[in-house]
Amino acid sequence: MSDNRPASLRRRTLLATAMAGVASTSLPAIAQDKPKLRLGVALPLTGSQALFGTDQVRAAQWGAEDINRKGGVNGQPLEMIVQDTQADPQTGINAFNHLIGVDKVPVIAVAWSSVVQATAPVATRDTTLALSIGASSTKVAHLGDYVYTTYPLANVDVTALAKYVYNTLGKRTGAVLYINNESGLEGGRVFRDVFTQLGGKIVAYEAYDPTATDFTGMLLKVRVADPEIIHIQGLTADTPQVIAQMRQLGMQQRVTSYSAGYNPQLIKQLGAAAEGFIVTSLAPGPGDNPNVAAFIERWKKEMGRAPNGLPYTQYLYDYPYIVSSIYAWLAKNNLPVSGENFRKGLVEIREFDLPMTGKLVVNPDHTVDKPVYLLTVKDGAFVPLATIS
Amino acid sequence: MMLPILAQIFWTGFANAAYYVLFTIAFALIVKVVQLWNFAQAGMMGIAFYTMYTVINFLEWPTWAAFLIGVAVTAAAGLLVEFYGLRTLRRRRSSNLMFFIFTLIFSELIAYVLMFLFGTEPVTLFPSILSPVRIIHGIAVTDWDLTAIAVTSVSLIALWLFLQFHREGQFLLAVADNGRLAELYGISAQRAYLVAFAIAAVFSCEGMYLFGTRAAVLPTTPNDLMLFAVIGTLLGGMGRLFAAAAAAVVLALVQSYSVLVIASKWQGLVLYGFLFVVIVLFPRGFRLPGFRARRAIPSPTPVQAKV
Repeated sequence: MSDNRPASLRRRTLLATAMAGVASTSLPAIAQDKPKLRLGVALPLTGSQALFGTDQVRAAQWGAEDINRKGGVNGQPLEMIVQDTQADPQTGINAFNHLIGVDKVPVIAVAWSSVVQATAPVATRDTTLALSIGASSTKVAHLGDYVYTTYPLANVDVTALAKYVYNTLGKRTGAVLYINNESGLEGGRVFRDVFTQLGGKIVAYEAYDPTATDFTGMLLKVRVADPEIIHIQGLTADTPQVIAQMRQLGMQQRVTSYSAGYNPQLIKQLGAAAEGFIVTSLAPGPGDNPNVAAFIERWKKEMGRAPNGLPYTQYLYDYPYIVSSIYAWLAKNNLPVSGENFRKGLVEIREFDLPMTGKLVVNPDHTVDKPVYLLTVKDGAFVPLATIS
Repeated sequence: MMLPILAQIFWTGFANAAYYVLFTIAFALIVKVVQLWNFAQAGMMGIAFYTMYTVINFLEWPTWAAFLIGVAVTAAAGLLVEFYGLRTLRRRRSSNLMFFIFTLIFSELIAYVLMFLFGTEPVTLFPSILSPVRIIHGIAVTDWDLTAIAVTSVSLIALWLFLQFHREGQFLLAVADNGRLAELYGISAQRAYLVAFAIAAVFSCEGMYLFGTRAAVLPTTPNDLMLFAVIGTLLGGMGRLFAAAAAAVVLALVQSYSVLVIASKWQGLVLYGFLFVVIVLFPRGFRLPGFRARRAIPSPTPVQAKV
């Protein structure tokens, strides 16, 4: 029978198989004899997001290898099986069908909001646990019984930031500038609501078009309102431009943003104008956790560079640790391996102590509690400002 | 209180119009000479930016070298589009729709290739996007503003002089007026097309240089920027290069001032509103009553080409 699948599909499968092969062949001999414990990963290995997806897969692979090196789960090694989603919803559904139907995995790590939302019905239908690792849309918490997140959703860090601005920095008037898309609308609203509920006053609340490059009119409105602090809920591309144009118009207020602003490139683009800028991070940095410093060193040693999207790779590294805890829980409770029991294990264990991102608490409402790390730009570098539990 | 705000918006909007004018001229010139709605220009703009980006950031060569290499590579891409794409379609007597699809696909293809080569992280031409600023009568004027206005003004004057007084420029106008008649006089229409693509490459490169020194660029950014060029060309009237440039300035200012009456997030919608109105009410472009009988660029008598 001829293979009439498209060439690109065959390439994707080959790539995924090769990566899975790397994960299993590096196991120590002592663990190879025992049946392997499977875990699935559905991330983009090709396409525009491959830059991030492949690094995330590599991080998860290292996590599995490190667990196996220490004897796996009760002597049984983990086997990670990877499928390419291209960050595309339909390809993501195909990846899920393959992982569940062919590879029989009880748990799948998935990212990118659109893919998580598209694959959620498949996970629910086939009673397979889907762990969203990186998607921040609050919709992720409402995608059914079998979809959980290990990554804090959008409202967590912005809430903590608004509280810090009001309580610790003592600011009483603020402006919110947000990009007119899902993440901007949601984050901007959260900052405004939390700041207002605390007693602060939002004197300017302005959205801008995602394709805008000139923010003069909007900024002049803000200048007239004269807020004590300005929160920008934008993206990597537009946030530096807004700040640059602010400074050029003589606006010297302190600026805050969320994790999208945590980008060393921004400091290069703005120079001294970035000083005092406050951002959030949902994963600890090298100064907060020595494992992270070692993790970055490992990247530099093995790959010759830092990972693309460091916080996301930290969360993916921790994924096999969550899975191994659930496998251990199943063994302890004499329960067979199934998606249903995996879900039960996640909910029962609830608290995980993870090597790269610290403590994780899974809430019954499908959200998670994680500490929020605030950083500020000082002398041309991001330095820790506060950690909010 | 209001006057400084109005003046600041005018100045910044006027300076920002610079790159829109350059993109519009590049687009309108091809429409005029080649009689083609060249949506492949977005691809050429992408090539221009990423070539300059590579030369500056990876090869660490000086800016002037980056610009010259950017122009050369972009012009080469334009000539390839003309040689291997458009000429083939002309030979096959393809419909206008095929030309349209071809140019559109070219731009999408280039965007995907650039995405694979450079990723989807937004990048700027230089590490810093801050420009020194001075306050003049309460208006913030940056070095970038002055550079943008100067580059665009000089380019427009040079183009006008080229079209009016240089033999090749006059050939362009002759081909634009009537390609077949021009060929009877010994003017090569094919050569005129190539010259038009080369000039469009220079303007695209200048525009992307100005844009990339102020804002971050993604491989898909040129596709968004093209909308301005299309509306400017439509509003200025087919074949009226400098009217299209003026239309681009007006569009940029209207968009900037619109923030005083509508929320900033609707600024993008203003352009689509203009596009809708122009297509429905001014399909041949907007002309002031006094200019109805005049041409923006008088067409010279076709000149006998050198044999």
